[in-house]
Order: sequence, then structure tokens, then C-alpha cells
Amino acid sequence: MQRLASLIDVNSREFRLNELHNRRLAAELKERQRAVRLERPERDRERLRRQNKLFVRDRVEALLDPETPFLELSTLAANAAYDGEVPSAAQVVGIGIVAGREVIVHADDSSVKGGAWYPLSVKKIVRSLDIAIENRLPVVHLCDCGGGFLPLQAEFFADRHHAGRIFRNQSILSKMGVPQVALVVGQCIAGGAYVPALSEYNVIVQGSGAIFLGGPSVVQVATGQHVSVDELGGADMQTSVSGTADHLADSEMHAIAIARDIVARFKHPEKASIDRVAPEPPAYDASELYGIIPRDPRVHFDMREILARLVDGSRFHEYQPRYGRSLVCGFARLHGYQIGVLANNGVLFDDSALKGAHFIQLCDMNRTPLLFLQNITGFMVGREYERRGITKNGAKLLMAVSGAAVPKFTVICNHSHGAGTFAMAGRAFDPRFLFTWPQAQISAMGADQATRVLTDVKAKQLAVDDRPLSAQDYEATRQSILEEYRKRSSAYYATSEIWDDGILDPVDTRTALAIAVSASLNAPIETPHYGIFRM
Amino acid sequence: MNHVFELEGVDYQLWLSRWQQGYRLHFGDEVLASLDLSHQGDGCGLLTVAGASEPVRFAVDGDTIHLHIRGRTRVLRYRDPLSAHALVKKDAGLLVARAPMPGVVVQTSVSAGDQISAGTALMVIESMKLESVIRSPQDGVVDRIHFNEGESFEHGAVLVTITEEGH
Amino acid sequence: MRNLPFDTVLIANRGEIAVRIIKTLRELELRSAVVYHDLDAGAPAVSMADMAIPIIGRMPVAAHLDTAQIIAAAREASAGAIHPGYGFLSENADFARAVVESGFAFVGPTPEIIHLMGDKIQARNFVQRNGFPVVPSAIEEDDPASFIQRARSIEGPLLVKASAGGGGKGMRIVRDLDTLEDAIAQARSEAQRYFGDGRLYIERYIEKPRHIEVQLLGDCFGNVVHLFERECSVQRRFQKVIEEAPASTLSPGLRERICETAVSIARAANYRNAGTVEFIVHGGEFYFLEMNTRLQVEHPVTEMITGIDIVAEQLYVAGGYELRFSQPDIVSTGHSIEARVYAEAPERGFAPTTGKVLVLDYPSGPGLRIDSGISQGQQITTAFDSLLAKVIVHSSTRNEAALTAQRAMQELVLLGCETNASFLACVLADEQFLRGQVHTGYLDENPQLTACDSASDLSTFLAAAALLTRPVRDSADAVPELHASLGGWRNA
Repeated sequence: MQRLASLIDVNSREFRLNELHNRRLAAELKERQRAVRLERPERDRERLRRQNKLFVRDRVEALLDPETPFLELSTLAANAAYDGEVPSAAQVVGIGIVAGREVIVHADDSSVKGGAWYPLSVKKIVRSLDIAIENRLPVVHLCDCGGGFLPLQAEFFADRHHAGRIFRNQSILSKMGVPQVALVVGQCIAGGAYVPALSEYNVIVQGSGAIFLGGPSVVQVATGQHVSVDELGGADMQTSVSGTADHLADSEMHAIAIARDIVARFKHPEKASIDRVAPEPPAYDASELYGIIPRDPRVHFDMREILARLVDGSRFHEYQPRYGRSLVCGFARLHGYQIGVLANNGVLFDDSALKGAHFIQLCDMNRTPLLFLQNITGFMVGREYERRGITKNGAKLLMAVSGAAVPKFTVICNHSHGAGTFAMAGRAFDPRFLFTWPQAQISAMGADQATRVLTDVKAKQLAVDDRPLSAQDYEATRQSILEEYRKRSSAYYATSEIWDDGILDPVDTRTALAIAVSASLNAPIETPHYGIFRM
Repeated sequence: MNHVFELEGVDYQLWLSRWQQGYRLHFGDEVLASLDLSHQGDGCGLLTVAGASEPVRFAVDGDTIHLHIRGRTRVLRYRDPLSAHALVKKDAGLLVARAPMPGVVVQTSVSAGDQISAGTALMVIESMKLESVIRSPQDGVVDRIHFNEGESFEHGAVLVTITEEGH
Repeated sequence: MRNLPFDTVLIANRGEIAVRIIKTLRELELRSAVVYHDLDAGAPAVSMADMAIPIIGRMPVAAHLDTAQIIAAAREASAGAIHPGYGFLSENADFARAVVESGFAFVGPTPEIIHLMGDKIQARNFVQRNGFPVVPSAIEEDDPASFIQRARSIEGPLLVKASAGGGGKGMRIVRDLDTLEDAIAQARSEAQRYFGDGRLYIERYIEKPRHIEVQLLGDCFGNVVHLFERECSVQRRFQKVIEEAPASTLSPGLRERICETAVSIARAANYRNAGTVEFIVHGGEFYFLEMNTRLQVEHPVTEMITGIDIVAEQLYVAGGYELRFSQPDIVSTGHSIEARVYAEAPERGFAPTTGKVLVLDYPSGPGLRIDSGISQGQQITTAFDSLLAKVIVHSSTRNEAALTAQRAMQELVLLGCETNASFLACVLADEQFLRGQVHTGYLDENPQLTACDSASDLSTFLAAAALLTRPVRDSADAVPELHASLGGWRNA
């Protein structure tokens, strides 16, 4: 494979200014992640100590094999919700190694609101179990949940992907033969009680662990019965009387040791076999990405420069380099795994859509996972393009993306708008993992264009009401609409709403994707078959 | 969760990971790589650390690893995480007098069924050429004497079991 | 080689000394027989001896103290002589008498001398009467009623000792007179059990003395020679740990006076066979401590510097021969050091250790002698003495000998039962030891020697242990290659 030759001048003013900007964004990301991971009011820390409980981060670290990677997902979930008071949506989720097995770790964070489930907590847990189902990853639950946050129950209780989905997903995992281990390291109340109950294996900690459907106060209201936590659902009762829990642990560390022993006996997965060779680092340093990603999102950049800092040896076998050039397609290797890359180098034209659809089928046929690198403002519009069948050809690309059986991975590097978001394996198209870079914008329409449309609509309405906007008011309205629009199309908003699996520092992309590709191979890859392509 | 080895009463946490063709040891801030130990039969091995090899003599006896390296012999014990993290549970109502060191029973001063009080001499043991008296840790009844006179026992062995009165 | 009146010798002992005696018996083309308790069934002495005869006892030690069984064993082996080794019955006059009366030659002095010297009080009185220096003391049997009273009137700290004792058994130091009665009770119990004799005596405890002893050989014709002195000051709990010959810092004059005194004592006692007079030396003064009427554990250092096989000479004397050399024939060459390898954990207060010998590999080389009583596969218990082996070196100078001994301790591989080998290596490399500034309190004053290498090479040991532990290797091997190569990566 040919090595990509970078045309970037690392000594240019442009490069240095971009670098300054993007390093600042990366530092901000790191700081925000650090804060949601570790910053807790002292009284909450103190409460944990009093309850003889470990902080969730320490639990996760103790559970994992030392010196192995942990890809944390949706760290900044709920950062723009609940006044920012529910860091990480009170959940820690990630892919890690426990006793040598790739697993999903899901942990309640009882240092936040006593571990209560908020709507986005539920969404995050459901997503973690979707990942487990799609990739057949065993799950280790660290349960310490005080139940759902009742005032917001309408947002997490009844709908298809609300709380019930957690238990449905657990049951489906079990049916698929994908085992789960639950560690009851705190109370598991109400719905939370089903998490250990629906796990193949569970361990409960003497003293701090308890499982019950209704807590003592609920029992008293419902039946008038006075009952203690231990009597109701303590570790001793649940292991020796009810059989709801399997193992009694003396301490959290003991529980973790037992859980690790359980996971160690899981069958070693027979992973989907895809082409793999010995890994090779890229020829160009990943940190140069900071100087390449333009500080102004409107400035075009060549995705090959990104690829040169992402793939093995910076080698890239480009497919149809002379055709449909706004969509760069080709083969590369990531930590030795062969992947097929589709990367935007401009708006999608009908030829780029046809090329993309064709390339997806190629990759699907030879069992090559797909990586989508998004920087897409949408499909080209206009009479000329409609006559060429841009909609029909775009539909072919959507059909190919939806139908491909190989694992798909998406990174939103910059713009993600319009039908381009869908065609480039957006969230709705079930890529196994979707990550975002800090400066990315995700919205139906670009902010400038959308703001103009929205402001014009508003001005017209007011004109109808005979209250025409002055030029000054028009500008003020436009500014306020733009600000709100920008906020709600930012990467931070997207990740807050769990439209992605997390924001990545661009230099971490290669490692994160390697872990994701490896995880995806735990599920078998089905034989290719597609719907009808409109010809 | 790290592995734990005990050496001379001190626990050391470590982790071993694969590294290139061999292994890597993580111990506190220290990292030793690349590591390997080839067996040459009869308790002889060749330990390779970062390309330099040295002979090692070893004997593995259950979780106990006896090592002779660089002129020094050390005994390390692998602490199985399950037992290392479990608390020692005391069976209710049952007390034991344990051997403070390995030795031989010289004389037994009580018999099963005897009423005893805290401090009652239970047996005389001999160790390190000195006699010491094993005394009852509390009031109770002698349940069982585990070693006869003249029998030797290891460190920590249960010498006498005592039940609480009326239990 | 001279003909001896016996062709088979029964060794009433075990361990390294039994092996040691068998070696000389082989040299002299004599047959060896050894008694053994079931616990020693796999010991080298049992397999090396031409004959091995089991003896039984409620406690293993008791079997070796059973005169009747041993004499029966000697008959069974058609032995003509019995060598008692050291410890056990070696200084028991009744045993010696029973041996002689049963028609066997006893490889040791006459029962009368054993009786005289074996009783520490009599020995002391005898020596004092003959004008040799002894330490101020109170002897119980002089007047039991006033024993404690008299003990209290001796100035300075006191040492309670068993009249019939040796080897540290039944000894107690008393610094606080309030604890004197407790110490007497404990010492008496031990003495009663080890020697069947609970009589005690108490003497002034001389602080920081050197322990110097003189090896003697006498025959039935009144000849007595000395084989120079040994220094045995490196001790812990009255147990010798490192011995050497010659004594490192004695002036030639003092050395000669001590050796002459020892010979004179032996002559006065009409001593025969091998024996040792022990002195404590403080400044330019020396006092008679006791006389050991047997082969000493540390006899090899003397053999190394004189080239004389003391066991062979014992056998010739027992066979009625006159000594083959006179004093001027005996020459001391170079320096010899012996280090005793014990089954014990110095870092845990020298607590005894037990275990099965899984790997055993002794060093070898010029000037190196190993007297070992154990073999691979053998179970080390606390039933007997914890001495496993002795490493003896001979070099031209003391410093060379210390260095060789230190290296030998490092090269000695004994796995399965903790030993004091590393501790010995530390002592042999200790500045104070190398300067020869030792006394019997040296080890007690330098507890850091028990932990002198505790931190070094820790990670190397942990690495080897990790690689040898199946679960540790398994958990490393279980991690997928990709994740192992990524290490402890975390996103942002």
C-alpha cells in the first residue's frame, strides 16, 4: 500500500494557529472530563466513606485488569442537562478488560444524587446494553442505585427506550448467551433490583449491599409493615433465603475479586475473523492533527491528511481516486485490522454517492469493517443535480450503509448536517460506535444557513402581524437565534444527549477505534444482503 | 485488581503483562521489560530482564515460591485474591488456641471436657529450645486437643479448640 | 593404617555429624552403623551407613537418649565401638559406662572424666582447686537453701545454667533480680527435660566476652596435646553461629597461655580422647567456662588449619593407640571459618522454620568443605536441632576466608525451608566482623544484620515469582494482544 504524502507545512503560521486553537479545545475537553469524573462535593465523598463504599472510579479501576486500556463512553452525558448537576448522567460506562475478557462495564455513581437514575442515566444504560447486544460483549454491572428520579419519571419510564428497555436488553443478552455479572455494592431499589436479578451471576457485599423492589418506607406505606433494610433485602437474606444473589462478599474488594473470578471462567470468544497483520504506527505524528483541523470550521481540509495520522504506516489504497472525488474511499489498516474508509472531502455529489455505495458493497463482501469520517454539509442541491438523480443516488448510499453487515464506525470530525449525516452512517444507522471531535457541529442544516432561514421566517411572521423588524432588531434576533442554534448543534450538546458515544481528543481517535474494532469482532458478521437499490 | 505476593510479612502488589515476545512487570512506579523465565529442568531457570540473563534456582510448592537469585534466597507467597480480600470469619462460640511458632508438644495439661478459665495452661510446647505455655484465651470447655505429646506442629496450627460454656 | 580392635562402629547420632563420622570410618575402612528415628528415614546418614537400625521414642529426641535401644542396636550391628557424636548421650557418663560395661569401646573419654566434667559444678570446683581462673558463682547443691541468697550476692547480671547442660539449653540471663526465681524455674524445667537433671548453678554474667576454646587430644598413655584454639564469639541465644581458627585478635602471649592452661587442665584430669576446654576472655583475662568431653560441632575449623582428622584420632585413641604426634608436630596453617546453616528465620527472631527440602545444591571449590546432614526431598521438622549443614572454608588469611565463606553462603541453594544463609552472608561481610571486633553479644547488638539485604533486588524476585505463578501468567496471557500493547490507556 502506498504511503500518503502529507502536504502540510508544520512550520506555517496557519498550522501554528490551528494547533493553538485545537490544543485549547483538547485541554478544555480534558478538564471537563476530569471534572465530571472526579469533582464531587466533600459531603458526598464523606457519605460514601461513612457507608464504607468505594468511589465509583475506584471500583472500576479495581475491577479492570491493570495495564489494560479502558475506553470510557459518554463521559460528558448530561453535561448540558439538569443544570449540570448530574455529571456523566451518574453512570460510568466503558469497554475494558476484566480477567482478560473484553467487557462492557456499567457502574452506577452513588456520589451523584445517591445514584438515582435520571432520564439520561437510563438512556446511557440502555445504550451500554445496546452496545453489549450488538457486539456480544459480556457486561459487568456495579450496582449502587437508589431508584429512578421520580420528578422526571415521565421522561424515563414508559416509552420504548425508557427504563424497561434496560431489563429487556438484559434478558435479550441472556438469551443470546452473552453473560452478565452484577456486583451489588450498594442498594438496588425498585427497577434497579432487576439488574442483579437478570444477570447470570451476581455478588452482594455484606453490609452495604441490599436488593429490594420496595424500600422500607415504601413497604410501610403499602403494607404498614416495619422492616429493616437487612431483613428486607440484606446480603445474608438474599444469598441464603431468597436465592436472589449468588455470592456473599465480605467487602467491595472481595466482591470484585469474586466477579473477576467469575469472568475468568467465561468462554473465550471466537472472534469474527477479518484480515489482520502486525500493527504499525502511522508515519506522521498524531499530534499534527491539532495543526491540520482548521480553527474556522468553514475552512476546507483534505481528509487524507487526517488519514495519514490515523492509519497504520499512513498507508492508504485509494479506491477510484479520480471519480467522485468529494468522497475519499479506500483501504487502510488500523492496528493491523483491515478497514474500509469513507471520508468526506466536500459535499456529496451523485457520483460520490454512487462510488460510496459501490465501495461499501466491496468492503461488505470481503468482510472489511467500515470507518466513516464525517465532514459533511449535505448533498448537492439544484436542478442540474436533481436531473442527474442526486436523490436516487443518495438513496443508494443510504441503502448500502443500512444494509452493510460489517461493523461500522463513525467519527464526526467537523460538519455533520442534512442527509449527509445519515448517508455517512449517522447515529440512526447503527454504527457500532460513533465518536465526535470537540469542534464538530451536528444539525439538520448548517448554523449560518439555518439562522438566515429562521430569522427570515420570524421577520415574515412579524411583518404579517404588521410589526416589521428594524435592521437592528433583525440583527439582534439573528444573533440570538444563531447562538441558541450553535449551542444545540455543538459536540457538547450532542454528547450530553447521548447522540454519540463520546467526544474524543483527536489524538486518541486511533486507539479508541482500535478498541472499538476489536470489541465489534465479538459478534459474528452476517452474510451480505441488501434491499432494493433504485437504479 | 493487582496480584499480591507476600514476602517476609509484607504484601507487594504487582501486575504482569505481555510485552513483545515476553512479559512486563509493573511494580509501583517500576517497570521491568522485557521479561522471561526459561525452565532448564531441576529447578534451574534463566531469568531474562531487558536482554540480560541470569540463572535462577526455584521451587514452587503450591502458592509458595522459593527463589534463589544473586546469592539470596527468598520465599514469596502468592496471595489468591479471593482469600486475600476475604475477612477471616470467626465461627461463633468456637475458639482456638493456635501455635505461635512451629514446635513440639511437650506436655498436655488438660483433657477434653475440662472446664477452663481464661489463662488456664493448656499445654507446654517446645520451640527454639525454649518451653512456652499455651494458655486459654478465655473461659470455656476444652473441646478437642489436636496434637499428642511428642507430636510436632507448624506455625499457626490449631492446638486446642475450646467451646464457650453452655454452648 | 593401623589395625583397630573393632571393625564396625555404631554412631549414636544423626544429621551432619553422623555423616561426618561415616566419612572417616570409610577412610579407615571400618564399617558404619547408625541408629535413626523414623523421622530421619530419608536422611543421608541413613543411606550412607553400611547399616541403619531404627530406634523409637515417644518424642524423637527421646529415642536418641535411650541407652538400652542404642546398646541393643550396637549388638545387632555387631559393632565393636560406639561413637556418640555431640549432644544427645555424648556427655552422659552413665551411657559411657553402660557402653563400656556392655563390652563396646566408647569413642570418648572415660565415664569418670565425663562425670567430672559433665557436671559443670564439679568441673568448676576441680579447675578452681587446681589453681585455674573461674567466674564468681553460686552453686545450688553446695547449699540449696541459700542458693538464691548466694546468687543475689554475686555482683552484676547473672547467668543461670544447668549443671548438666550445654549448647544453650536451660540457660537464662537475669538482669533484674526480681525475675531470678522465674528464670530458675524455667531453666530447671528445660534442664530436667534435656539432661534428666534439674540442678542449676548461677554465675556472674560477663558482658561482651569472647568465647575462646582449645581443642585437646589425649591418649591412655598420659599424652595430651592441644590443636590450638577456636574463637566462637559469634553467637545468638548462646548458640554458636560462626566459628573460626585461629582466634582473630588474641596476642601470641595470651594465646599460648590459654592453650597451655587447657592442656594443664586436661592433664590434671588425666583426660583422654578428644575434648575442648572453653574459656571466656575479657580484656587480657580469661576464665574457665567448661570442658566439653566430646567432639564439638565446630571441630572442622581445627581440622582445616592443622590437617588432623580429629574423628580418626578419636578412633585410634579409643582403639588403645598412643597419639601419633607430639605438640611440636602440630602446626597451624592459614585461617578457617565455619558458618552454621540453621533452619531458622533470623528476621523473625530466629524462629525455627520447617519444610521439605525441594532443591539442594552446595557450593564447591578449593578450600571449601561442606558437612551436611540433609538431602533433597527430606522434611525438616522441629523435632531435632535446627542445624542443617556447616560450610567450612580454609584460606591463607582471615579476610580471604571470610570472603570465600560469604560467597559460599550466597552460592548455597537450599529451597523449601527457610535458612539463615543470607544472614550469615551479611555477618561475614560486616565491617565489625571483618575487623575481628566480635564478642558473644555482637549479634544481639547488631539486629540490623538480620535484615541487611531486605530491600535489594526486590523487583527481580517479584518478577521471577510472577513468572512462576500460574494465575499471574494466565492473567497476562488472557489479555488480547491489542489491549496488552495499548497498556493502561485512558481516553483524555
